[in-house]
Amino acid sequence: MKVFMYTLSTCPWCRKTKQFFKEKNIPFEFVDYDLQNEEEQDKIMKEMEKLSTTKAFPFVKIDDNVIVGYNPDKYSELLGEKGKQK
Amino acid sequence: MNPGSRKKALRYFFQKIIDPLGYKFSPDEEMVDFLLEQEVLLEQKHGIPYCPCQGLTKKREENMKIVCPCIPFHREHFDAIRRCWCGLYVHKDVTDPDALKQIPFNEIKRGQDVR
Repeated sequence: MKVFMYTLSTCPWCRKTKQFFKEKNIPFEFVDYDLQNEEEQDKIMKEMEKLSTTKAFPFVKIDDNVIVGYNPDKYSELLGEKGKQK
Repeated sequence: MNPGSRKKALRYFFQKIIDPLGYKFSPDEEMVDFLLEQEVLLEQKHGIPYCPCQGLTKKREENMKIVCPCIPFHREHFDAIRRCWCGLYVHKDVTDPDALKQIPFNEIKRGQDVR
């Protein structure tokens, strides 16, 4: 299971999202969009547009699922579903 | 102006804008203080207090839609979730901001009130 997220260093909900996965000891990768250069930001925005109509943060990908906004219920559901499939 | 004074000034200024829109600062004072602090930093960096939870792009007209308070540009969305995206402002009747969910507009059905 791969967890990746685009975040903003200024956003408290992005921090809560990182905290959620840390507390569950689930490894994740993240990129703080606002700390990237313009070229990289362009690439990120294009990818976000491709995956969802909403370009807001936190922008979380759990395997092929995209969750925009801090949504611990959804994260748990997707993590839980992963568990059940085994 | 030092950050502490600028935070007070933003708060005073924003209050006058959000009140007639039916919004107030979130009762979560810690969150409000943190968000205003981020906006002072963003203002120092970009010259404008942008929303700390939405991304800037090279398109100025898109960036203008996330200048705080950005409620008028996202009215239908924020009225449905009863808060603005970053949670700095909530509807006037909200007493428990933690109960409000951060749901993107494309996941809200028109007219749906998300409680």
